[in-house]
Amino acid sequence: MNCEQAEKFLFLSFDGRLEEEDRALLNDHLESCSLCREKEKDYRQIFSLLRVEAPEPLPYFEQRLLAKLEEKEKSAPAVFSKRWAARAMVVSLAVAILFGIGILFFRPQESLELSQAEILLFRNENPLAEAATILDQKKLEDRNMMLIFVASETRDPARRYKP
Amino acid sequence: MKEKELIRLAQRGNGEAFGQLVERYKTKVFSLAYGLTRDRAAADDLAQEILVKAYFVLPKFKFRSEFGTWLFRVAVNHIKDYLRKTRRRRQDLPLQNVPEKEVATEDQSYEEGQREERRRALVWGALRRLPQKYRVILTLRDIQGFSYEEIARLLGISMGTVDSRLFRARKMLRERLAEDVEGKGGEHEL
Repeated sequence: MNCEQAEKFLFLSFDGRLEEEDRALLNDHLESCSLCREKEKDYRQIFSLLRVEAPEPLPYFEQRLLAKLEEKEKSAPAVFSKRWAARAMVVSLAVAILFGIGILFFRPQESLELSQAEILLFRNENPLAEAATILDQKKLEDRNMMLIFVASETRDPARRYKP
Repeated sequence: MKEKELIRLAQRGNGEAFGQLVERYKTKVFSLAYGLTRDRAAADDLAQEILVKAYFVLPKFKFRSEFGTWLFRVAVNHIKDYLRKTRRRRQDLPLQNVPEKEVATEDQSYEEGQREERRRALVWGALRRLPQKYRVILTLRDIQGFSYEEIARLLGISMGTVDSRLFRARKMLRERLAEDVEGKGGEHEL
């Protein structure tokens, strides 16, 4: 065992962590090494000089602590409200952005107005029969009138018949 | 009342429950601060600051460790900050600031007592000049008597690091002390 190893074993011994067989090795080394014996003596003295019981805290410890806590608590709501204000601002901003995006992408569905032909198709009736009736009119005037009446049923001007 | 229950109440802002926790831990927190500062007034201030801080961060305590371990971790971090900020100032403290020894034995002569006081002053002076991480680990182990496992948890380091850092700290303390003794012409030999 060298002196470096012996020093490690010394510390383990002070801490009560040295195995029995290692203790024998350490003792053998200490017997033959005056330098390490000196170290052991030094360390024992250092540790004993270090150990000093702490005095008591200063008087009125609890009362002073309570006063500090009360003082801190008074100022704490301001701190919390500032924090919450900052958070509320962030949340509001996020909501506003989401709302804006929603408006951009969301459009209310336009009311669907069906043409006469579409109505007939949905009713499972033949729209061509009505068209044929109109187109079969001999008089151009009658045919135009009928087309105008049919077209007037739709609100979309583009879909209205203009003779 | 059980400690867990006190903690839960204190987390909800119950001052009386927190008061009971303070009663249980104030001496230990003060003692830790004193061990690291060697200054009763500073240790008292630090203990107060630590407990105020603990009160406000207590809702974050999730019972993943012992309450004592959690509180001492808060304390160690706070004291380390303090030591960092006051490092330059504290190095100039006179040796006379070292407190009196724990118990004066009756059969100890006045001269022996004086000699021991000087030795103690030397040891503490050397300890104060150690780099902070060594000073902290020495205080936790050799003054406060925390176990290796507790130190590892308090400082958030592995057991291996506790082992190697403590070895280095003790060695360094003895070396610094030897330098001091030689610097004084061996007048205060240990």
